[in-house]
Amino acid sequence: MIDDIRVGFVSALSSVKRGNKKTLIFIIFVLALIFMNLIFLPSFIGGISGMFTNFMKYPYGDIVIEPGGDNIYINNADNVLQKIRAVPDVKAATKRLDVGASIEYNQKVVGSTITGLLPSEEYEISNYPYIIKEGEFLGDLARDEIILGAMLVEGYFGSEIYDNLGGVRVGSLVNVTYSNNVERTYKVKGIMEGTFELVDLNALIHYKEIEDVFGLNESKATSVVVKLEEEGDSKEVKEKIISVGVKEPVFTSDEKSDAILRQAMQSIDMINVVSNLVSLIVGAALIFIIIYINTLNRRREIGILKAVGITPNSIRISYVFISMFYVIMGIFAGLILYFILMFYFMKNPVMFYETIRLTPEIQSGLIIKSIFRMLIMSVVAGFIPAWFVTRKSILEAIWGR
Amino acid sequence: MEKEMIKVNNLVRYYGTDGILVKALNGVSFNVKKGEFIMIMGPSGSGKTTLLRILGLLDKPTKGKYTINNLDLVDLPEEERNYYRLTQLGYVFQDYALINEMSASENVYVLSLMEGKSKKESLFDAKEALEKVGLGDKLERVPNQLSGGEKQRVAIARAIAKKPKILFADEPCANLDTQTSEQVLEVLNTLNKKFGQTIVMVTHELWHTKYASRIISLRDGLIISDKKRRDGFK
Repeated sequence: MIDDIRVGFVSALSSVKRGNKKTLIFIIFVLALIFMNLIFLPSFIGGISGMFTNFMKYPYGDIVIEPGGDNIYINNADNVLQKIRAVPDVKAATKRLDVGASIEYNQKVVGSTITGLLPSEEYEISNYPYIIKEGEFLGDLARDEIILGAMLVEGYFGSEIYDNLGGVRVGSLVNVTYSNNVERTYKVKGIMEGTFELVDLNALIHYKEIEDVFGLNESKATSVVVKLEEEGDSKEVKEKIISVGVKEPVFTSDEKSDAILRQAMQSIDMINVVSNLVSLIVGAALIFIIIYINTLNRRREIGILKAVGITPNSIRISYVFISMFYVIMGIFAGLILYFILMFYFMKNPVMFYETIRLTPEIQSGLIIKSIFRMLIMSVVAGFIPAWFVTRKSILEAIWGR
Repeated sequence: MEKEMIKVNNLVRYYGTDGILVKALNGVSFNVKKGEFIMIMGPSGSGKTTLLRILGLLDKPTKGKYTINNLDLVDLPEEERNYYRLTQLGYVFQDYALINEMSASENVYVLSLMEGKSKKESLFDAKEALEKVGLGDKLERVPNQLSGGEKQRVAIARAIAKKPKILFADEPCANLDTQTSEQVLEVLNTLNKKFGQTIVMVTHELWHTKYASRIISLRDGLIISDKKRRDGFK
């Protein structure tokens, strides 16, 4: 077998060294495009997935604890917070109260979720304080102020898609009717824009105000949101949180985004799988045809090689080496093209609504997987046609009988 | 001359093509001694190429016995036939049959590699063989850079590099002009005279026989004459 490999290698090397260079360049170019297709589209899909996962961190942080069973609230959220804050790799944690309400301004009314939060704690938890496009974020003492999501305000991101409050601006007074029919008036302190519906259709108010409106006590919360240290692994920390005695359901933001985006991502993934499959089939067919035509043209030569004592296996191995060489060169060229395109799209992201920036994500795991797929494809596509031709007897191969 | 090396006994080869039976060999028997230079002659369709293919283990007889040094080669399993052909026999084809992408030395040394020799050893053998056929200065030339005669000499070098027991040559001068043919035949003659190489060659040119020690003539698949040359080599 070792002799077969040695002879196969020498034969393949001389074939590549002295073969037609223009054909070689063409084959490598096509294989480079095929390889790039295997990794380029998934990189964009990865970018979409990453973008959505980041969006999910507004409401859910890195980890979120929610009420269990039929409970509306987490009872004694401060106790839960105390346990969580003692867990290693937890950077910060806070409680929130989400309630339903309608907001009215100038006879325009929209339904919205209002999140009651503790403003000073949010600086370490979420991006809310950093996405204020107009005005300011809530202060710790501000009980009569509200932050409106951009989609509720005319002229802002996505406001044309849903009903909005018209020309409401920072400083305007809005009336809020809560789901328990309590009515309050608030001054708009700021407008936030997260370019994501879960954020931009919401409004923010001080936690204490919601407690007051709903008559809640003993630190109730609809969610406890956790931010991890940079090196923290959300799955590991989730397990630790459970182990310190938190009884309520604990979710990582990936799990939350998975649940919400699963269907959409499954559809996109299906497109990706089909696209990958087609690419691999096209690549395999290309190599198969090239090697098959090559072996047919050299049928007589192959017969002679067998006649002088070269084993069929070494001839097959030689074609596998040639095929692998094409593919390896195609992978190299494809990687160069890929990184050029990635560099371009990272500098010039794809824009939606002039605010959503979609940048592709370089996934090393995917690249390695695609390289393996291409190499396996090259072995199969190189071996099969060579096997067909080398099966023929010497007489048939050389003299056609 | 030594004892008999090849023993061919009543070889028969029939081909069946589209229901028509072609009787290529009808019972050929002869023996070959070590160091002989045999030329097989005959008109087209006489069976000379079929006989050489059977002797070179490229084809199998329908009937008959064929031994080299008492080893029965007819019933040898395919894999062992391949190995025997690789290590013990040399075969020169009419149209050189070189690999165009390989240099002269690569064309020759690839067979030594196949035998399991090291690259260094294989290169040495290839160089030695190419020097024997007068191409020691053209080791790195690819077939396209060689003349017809040179290509055939590379093919001979490839066949002799492994120091085969017997060298078979199927009309090695068919595509060459007279002068180049003479050069190739001189190479074969030298191999035979100087190195004692046993050679069995098929030809249809009468003038080639001046190099032969024995001439076997075939017609319709039968030996019609088997004569030794008495007047020595030219």
